[in-house]
Amino acid sequence: MLVRLRDWIWERLGLEPIVAIAGHKEVPLHRHTFWYYWGGMTLFLFGVQVATGILLLLYYRPSADEAYESVQFIMTQVSFGWLIRGIHSWSANLMVGAAMVHMFSAFMMKAYRRPREATWLSGMVLLALTLGFGFSGYLLPWNELAFFATKVGTDIAGALPGIGHFMLVFLRGGEQITGGTLTRFFGFHVAVLPAITTVLLGLHLYLVQRHGMSVPPSVEDTGGPRGAMKFVPGFLLRDAVGWLAALAVLALLAALFPWELGQKADPYAPAPAGIRPEWYFGWMFQTLRMLPAHVLFLEGELVGILGIGLAGLLWMVAPFLDSPDGRGGRARLWTTFGWLAIVYIIVFTLLMYRGGGGH
Amino acid sequence: MATVHGLHGRLRVPAGRRGAVVILAAALAGLLAAPPLPAATKNSCVDCHRELEPEMARPIAEFGRSIHAARGLECTACHGGDPTDEDITAMDPDKGFKGRPSRDEIAALCASCHADAAYMKRFNPKPYVFSIAEWKTSVHCKLESEGDKKVATCTGCHGVHDIRSPDDPTSRVYHRNVPETCAACHNPEYMKGRPGKADQYEQYVGSVHGIALLEKGDLSAPACNDCHGNHGAAPPGVRNVAHVCGTCHGRVAELFGASRMKAAMDEAGMPGCVTCHGNHDIQPPSDDWISTAEDGACGDCHEPGSTADRATQSIIAAFRDLDRSIVTTDSLLQRAEVLGMATEYGRGMLREASDQVITARATLHSFDEETITAVAADGQGLVDRARDAAEGALRDWRNRRVGMGVSVVVILLLIALLLAKIRSMERPATEH
Repeated sequence: MLVRLRDWIWERLGLEPIVAIAGHKEVPLHRHTFWYYWGGMTLFLFGVQVATGILLLLYYRPSADEAYESVQFIMTQVSFGWLIRGIHSWSANLMVGAAMVHMFSAFMMKAYRRPREATWLSGMVLLALTLGFGFSGYLLPWNELAFFATKVGTDIAGALPGIGHFMLVFLRGGEQITGGTLTRFFGFHVAVLPAITTVLLGLHLYLVQRHGMSVPPSVEDTGGPRGAMKFVPGFLLRDAVGWLAALAVLALLAALFPWELGQKADPYAPAPAGIRPEWYFGWMFQTLRMLPAHVLFLEGELVGILGIGLAGLLWMVAPFLDSPDGRGGRARLWTTFGWLAIVYIIVFTLLMYRGGGGH
Repeated sequence: MATVHGLHGRLRVPAGRRGAVVILAAALAGLLAAPPLPAATKNSCVDCHRELEPEMARPIAEFGRSIHAARGLECTACHGGDPTDEDITAMDPDKGFKGRPSRDEIAALCASCHADAAYMKRFNPKPYVFSIAEWKTSVHCKLESEGDKKVATCTGCHGVHDIRSPDDPTSRVYHRNVPETCAACHNPEYMKGRPGKADQYEQYVGSVHGIALLEKGDLSAPACNDCHGNHGAAPPGVRNVAHVCGTCHGRVAELFGASRMKAAMDEAGMPGCVTCHGNHDIQPPSDDWISTAEDGACGDCHEPGSTADRATQSIIAAFRDLDRSIVTTDSLLQRAEVLGMATEYGRGMLREASDQVITARATLHSFDEETITAVAADGQGLVDRARDAAEGALRDWRNRRVGMGVSVVVILLLIALLLAKIRSMERPATEH
């Protein structure tokens, strides 16, 4: 019966080329193979986000009058609503973490070398989209912390030279954060960002398949990989082990540390103490906090925004500035830049949680 | 005698001065036809009095800070005279100068403007209109008409030259300042020789109303005039006490008005609310009052062991049960909150139950055991729902942990199976 069903599907969908590609796909085995799993992990967590997000959509109502109450209803009245929201919130954070590990491992292993520049660029845009998901989703429960964190975030966008005010009005749907901003963020979160992400994710996966896994120059210089593992089933089964472990971690986090809802947003209330963004924006937030009011003749905040923007741009075009074969002095310089970036992000994120250095 | 209509309403003037008064009235009528003007550039009242000894100069400074000056009035509005005349003749009676009004003229003088709704309307579209008739109902007016020179008239409470708006926190009659203003006269020293005690202010300061208004700054708390009236100030009569208290304590007054207790008290000539709560020294009510014991409020009329005594015991038991179950449910909810569980529904129910506790104690004024215990039982029902919610949250918390444990075990089992599968798949390849 099952064989007949499989044959029926096979005949109609014509999946032979895909099966053939999957059958031929191999993953090089060497001391850095572990880092290859992080792309799949990010993809898995994205899948969890899509599934739990759709379930939340069944009850969530995107208006200033109803958003908070609907999330409260999900948390208290809907069967397993607390679990779905908890997993969605925790998984979002784990996904950003996994995407960052994936990006840094690709950077440090020089996986962006020719011909994988487009893979790198599409990955960078996907990371930016992931942060966009985080920023837009954070406001949706319409609670006090989210309201003021969004205010701070959009204020920063508003400080951009030239296009700042346009960006602020575009993001908020006006000068202030209102129910209109919530509706707009909801639109970004469930329609605009998923649509762009789907296209780019398809491109990214195609490029990974097209070019195969990159082997780091350091491995190539020391005799190359010790062998290769078939993607199906060996690597895929190991991927599944990681995914199951992530699922267990999510279950633990959702049950032991329920995601708080806090107080409903009140646009007329003063900002509560300790407003800070999600951890993945922490290093940028802390950088802006620690800058003096003025640097030479420029405003400190503007210098910070320009500096972060420039560093991000430099990071993005690394494949074109690093040495093409990933070897030599220039390559070592870029590797040092990568380590510095990792240390900077960790230190400044920790500083934000310590709460020091504010102006 | 003739009556002149003008700034000061209807003033009786001698026939010999009619001409001067008519001119003055015409001038004032012209002045009033236009909106109030700022102080004239030339004002001999100000120019001269400013140079006199402090006693005579003080009114100038005080008047400058008054509501009357702010509204554009001048000295002449009350004292008459001609401020454009730089000589002593400015104070010529022929120029309408009246000098210092005598004590018994003050109310009529103030009323000449403040009782004139049409005139007052130009300063405020919804003006307070003073009523001479109301003033005449006051103990102050009655005593004054009997020749008592120590009782308050308008200036006694409002001041003379430095009269401020009642909304101005520096005014003597600003709501929070009223008790002190009344106490300026209603104190044992000033009231010596008069019947009754004059310790109302001392009692009020320590009362629930006094603490609310004077210490906590709660402007909704009553000052003296809220119970006694202001321009018609008088102590409320025995039968009126419940109405006076009922202006704020509406529900309680309604219940008391419909109770058998009201009828019984009326018959016995007892002053309603005051019988149990007192008047100036009203203290926060306590459940201990609901008793026929020595310190209870019921013991003066009801014997221990009586039907009323048994009713008080049953009511007190219902109140205390309700209080106790609210406290225990609150701690259950707190436990659930500490564990990160959502308790909004339970908290809402408990808030309603706490409101019901207040309602139940208010219902005491129905003096009907069945009604009171029924309200307390409604409160108990709300507490039960809150407790169910709290226990449900704690049960959920335990179930979540069990569920999490089972899920993790299942996932670990799957991981073990996958690892075993990987090993079994790769073993032949390694052996080859």
